[in-house]
Amino acid sequence: MPRRFSMKVILGMALILLGVGISVQVWPGGGSRALAEESTVIRVAGSTTVLPIVSRAAERFQARNPSVKITVNAGGSGVGVHGAGTRRLNIGLASREITLQENNRYASAQLNTTVIGRDAVACVVSSEIFHSGVHSLSKQQIGDIYLGKITSWQQVGGPDRTIIVIDKETHRGTRHVFMQYLFGKANARAPGARLVTGSNNEEQSKIAQSDSAIGMLSIAWINGDVVGIGIREGGQVIQPTLDNVRNGRFPIARNLNLITADKPAGEVKQFIDFLLSEEGQQLVTDSGYIPIHSPHAVSKVAGSHSK
Amino acid sequence: MNVNKMFPERGPAFWWTGFTALIASGTIFILFVSLVVESVPVFKVQGVSFLWGTDWFAGESYGALPMIFGSLMVTGLAVILVLPFALGSAILTSEFLNGRYRLMVKAAMELLAGVPGIIYGLIGIALLTAAVRDVFGLIDGNTLFTAGLLLAVMILPTVMTLAEDALRAVPGEFRDTALSLGLTRMEMVLKVVVPQALPGLAGAVFLGLGRAMGETIAVMLVIGGIDRIPQPWFDLFAPGQSIPSKIGREAAESLGFDLQWSALIALGLVLFVMVMALTSAGNLLLRRAR
Repeated sequence: MPRRFSMKVILGMALILLGVGISVQVWPGGGSRALAEESTVIRVAGSTTVLPIVSRAAERFQARNPSVKITVNAGGSGVGVHGAGTRRLNIGLASREITLQENNRYASAQLNTTVIGRDAVACVVSSEIFHSGVHSLSKQQIGDIYLGKITSWQQVGGPDRTIIVIDKETHRGTRHVFMQYLFGKANARAPGARLVTGSNNEEQSKIAQSDSAIGMLSIAWINGDVVGIGIREGGQVIQPTLDNVRNGRFPIARNLNLITADKPAGEVKQFIDFLLSEEGQQLVTDSGYIPIHSPHAVSKVAGSHSK
Repeated sequence: MNVNKMFPERGPAFWWTGFTALIASGTIFILFVSLVVESVPVFKVQGVSFLWGTDWFAGESYGALPMIFGSLMVTGLAVILVLPFALGSAILTSEFLNGRYRLMVKAAMELLAGVPGIIYGLIGIALLTAAVRDVFGLIDGNTLFTAGLLLAVMILPTVMTLAEDALRAVPGEFRDTALSLGLTRMEMVLKVVVPQALPGLAGAVFLGLGRAMGETIAVMLVIGGIDRIPQPWFDLFAPGQSIPSKIGREAAESLGFDLQWSALIALGLVLFVMVMALTSAGNLLLRRAR
């Protein structure tokens, strides 16, 4: 009697397992098909430099196209390129060019780049340091600070205070462009660093919190507490201003890129076209960057591997 | 035939509980196996030098030692900092408070134990880093010490309530006997109740340790995030990196792909093994203590 009963239970359990297995197999397909009829989801993530433009644009685009849902997330340029390369994202955001290594790694995805605006990376310092007289540094000096050869602000004309050197996570677009400029190598090490930050937000707040920090930041993120300093080059001081980026004098300029696997199509293409339209380009300006159709082309783009 | 002897009563209850137990233990097993399998590539490329290499640069080399070191430092520090306070308040609540007051303290502590890590992280990044910097006269407050201090605060409620439970579980007769033998209250607590509760107390500490070692977000925000062993190594006021913080910073970039992913999984495996080792060492000590 107990034996037969347990056989029933085994049978029942097997049936349940079978049911679970079948529903797991069927559910995702059925679910997404139902979803596709109602709305299209465009997944976007990556560089926190490009993010403000795209999230503003996404708001407007969704208001006009209720059937399209756009999710925008941060993470950094490396996350953007990786997401597009593995087709997890419909659009990856990158504030640098795709590296040769990445192009090889995601060869099957046929990565495609659309430039939506231009920006520059400034060397920034805590406001206390700026007000104590450090208004500009040479490339050599910044490089030595990041290498740990210069450790006190006194050595570059500031107060007798240790420099807090802020580095960024190695996949961040800003770091690629900045290191490319300083050392000619996007993946240069920075043994002088004291802190490592991720997003523009995080770096900005760490520098603002400190009274003796140096870091790298998109010029759109400069404010009263985090001051962009001039770069001394050939006896001149070049200030990190939009004008100097536009006329090609500021040396650390870059493109703001949207990365897609293959050529953009369908709703993704519509969204990218919106960003390239006059209205979309106005959002680029509003976010503190330079639209692509500005009167003067950017002459130098750092971080590009096309040699 | 054999099954009949091993499990004489096989009603539906046996099968259902057996089924759930299989799923539960199978999950741990699958987790461990997949950690090992996914981390094989990095060990193939780097060999065991993965464990004591000190240079980590995505795409070039993967050395886990600074992260292992950082994790051990911050958890060790957290436990040292939390012990006196957790045990002290547990003893007070269990032995000297009664009725309503005890329940009030317990309720507050249990509430605190449920506060999500990110809340501590936000408070840490906003207040604690600046406070540590100013109090100790540092150039910057993002240090191993800050992370350890934050973790100590985070695990305090957990350790305290569990320790209190362990003390309460000591039968009242022990206390009565001790007092009737002429021991003072202090002697009774330290010589009778605490030794009796020792396994439970150690269990509380190890659970706290587990939470501290796995905590990601709060540590990530205050530890400094630099993959480097301080010079000298015991300099707690230097920035560092812990295993969860490292994984948290790099996971999205390499999700399921490439050697970097394998290296991060291997870091996870190291963390898993470290927590396991700590727990079993604790159990072993407890068995000896009894």
